[in-house]
Amino acid sequence: MDRDSFLTRVGRASLTSQLPDPASLSADLPELPPADLLILFRTRSQTVNAVVHGPVTRHGVPRAVTGIATGHDASSFMAWDELPAPGVPSALQAVGMERVDHLVPSERRVDHNLGYRDVGVGITGAEAALAESGSVVLVHGEGRPRMASLAPDVHIALVELDRLDRTLAHWARKNPTLITETANLVVVTGPSRTGDIEQQLNLGVHGPRHVHIVMIK
Amino acid sequence: MSQPVTFLGRAEALIGTHEADAVDHGVRNFLELREKSVEELPALEGLRDRARAIRLHALRHLDRLLAHFADQLQAAGGHVHWAADAADARQIASDILDRTESRRVVKSKSMVSEEIELNAHLEALGLDVTETDLGEFIAQLAGDTPSHIIAPVLHMTREDIGALFADKLGVPYTDDPFQLNRIARAHLREVFLRADAGISGVNMAVAESGSIVLVTNEGNGRLITTAPRVHIALMGMERIVSRWEDAAVVLETLARSATGQRLSVYTNVITGPRREDDPDGPEEVHVIIIDNGRTRILAGETAEILACIRCGACLNACPVFRTAGGHAYGSVYSGPFGSIVTPGLHGMDPWWDLPFASTLCGACEEVCPVRIQIPKMLLQLRQQAASEGRLPGWLQTGIVRYARTTVDPSRWARAKRWAFRLTGLIATGGWIRRMPGPGRGWTSSRDLPRPAKESFNEWWRTNRGS
Repeated sequence: MDRDSFLTRVGRASLTSQLPDPASLSADLPELPPADLLILFRTRSQTVNAVVHGPVTRHGVPRAVTGIATGHDASSFMAWDELPAPGVPSALQAVGMERVDHLVPSERRVDHNLGYRDVGVGITGAEAALAESGSVVLVHGEGRPRMASLAPDVHIALVELDRLDRTLAHWARKNPTLITETANLVVVTGPSRTGDIEQQLNLGVHGPRHVHIVMIK
Repeated sequence: MSQPVTFLGRAEALIGTHEADAVDHGVRNFLELREKSVEELPALEGLRDRARAIRLHALRHLDRLLAHFADQLQAAGGHVHWAADAADARQIASDILDRTESRRVVKSKSMVSEEIELNAHLEALGLDVTETDLGEFIAQLAGDTPSHIIAPVLHMTREDIGALFADKLGVPYTDDPFQLNRIARAHLREVFLRADAGISGVNMAVAESGSIVLVTNEGNGRLITTAPRVHIALMGMERIVSRWEDAAVVLETLARSATGQRLSVYTNVITGPRREDDPDGPEEVHVIIIDNGRTRILAGETAEILACIRCGACLNACPVFRTAGGHAYGSVYSGPFGSIVTPGLHGMDPWWDLPFASTLCGACEEVCPVRIQIPKMLLQLRQQAASEGRLPGWLQTGIVRYARTTVDPSRWARAKRWAFRLTGLIATGGWIRRMPGPGRGWTSSRDLPRPAKESFNEWWRTNRGS
């Protein structure tokens, strides 16, 4: 069906539609002071099985990340080109971890994908963190692959303290156009999970089994 | 679709089976999770009002929002297709797959895909189609249909699944959910990375940006929109909101109502294909906007059901769903919302009896995150079924006679005397344990008290009246 006839049909249906009037809008949750946001973020992250580290100083980040990665016995990693703290990839290479490069996909798409199959750790820098749900917001683009928070068993997200917000709705209202500036944005709330088999919680179904969030002062 | 053609027939075949018990057990768990999450945030009530207002606003301006969405998505490099019905949608999807030489297709859970029976169509064309949501993957391996919109294999036990994996995937038998999860992960990981195209549904489209939002907990919704060259999204035409911040509000209520989570694990916002320097993401993004009976719903008395965000809370709250299970509804969309959507999309024939599969207790409306007036619409559909003469003769004439009797005091008094006399033949100790004829169903699980010899009115006249 072509666009015009489809939309005309919908428009005509709306004319006879019997929709109730919505109730009046109630206000959003109030903003919280930064200290409260951090406390809330810690508790809520814990409930979704994510581990919060820090806050550490910018210079303390490589050490914190290396500690997490070696704790999981990972031998390889992929990292976003720009991270909120310097020196992370070189610190991981210094402890003997291999870096898996991300390239723009070529004709051989499947080979490109299979390169990500066995990466141990993925490191990203979050655009925001959401206290109420314990989430981090990742904005993908050049040098910021989606796969980094998806293919590895361990995902480490770095986030600066002043990027904490209360809920997704709060953050979305302050950043109304960000979703047009990127082909993909994802809000990550803890590790991949399922309850599909007898409702037993199972972590790491298709995405990472471990999510670590390193807060930066 | 199941064999018996009536809800009652399907339900009777299921009640008391291990499938129905498993559903009941699983659903209680969802209810508890939801209650916990609601207790924690009193503001949820306010959030529900906002979500309702957002959804109703979108439905009022649906043609305008869809047009804007299409413009924005095209500006971002995506493609928009318009499907009047299921056959249209299937054809558009298979044409895209054909043109892009896609043979290996991975899917994330999509109710619309079930609605248009896409898998059978693609498989008939020789394509290799894999469902990747763990529950849907299991259902697909078993050759079964999902029984709950959030938990597709709520009706299967771990032993069932262990035996299935051993049989179909050639792995040693285990009934440990953790091992079963590892097996599925390893198997599907290869499938994801080698796939040519990913097919998903759309939880929510954002008109102002041309974005689609996909919500998953497992991450399959992200993998199928990241690894393959082509992404096709199937979108029911009502699944749209105006702005990104509106989507955020609805997403928060969705997760809380569905599984008691504050947000689902992955809220994936896609605005067109991979941009030039992006290291991953699809080369092509196609959104197929599907009507398939929705304009008919929009034009009528049950338009409000289109505000539904598919959280499944009404299924979990419904005593009928909990007793009979999702398969009893015979349709992709089960439970209270399904009893309105199914006859709306596919017509009253043969679905007129679904609105009767309800006790009208109102639990569905109470838990609905967008406060849809489900019982009211069930009654409207019942009325429609009766006025179209679809009820069985005994019920149709019975109800008409009952109505005529109750409005006339002398007829009512006469009827009561007869009822007292006649029930004397079958009652024991003041209770009727088995009624004959159509009443048999009523007494199969409960006793009916025998009508009193004397009505309250008569008693009052004799004892207190003066």
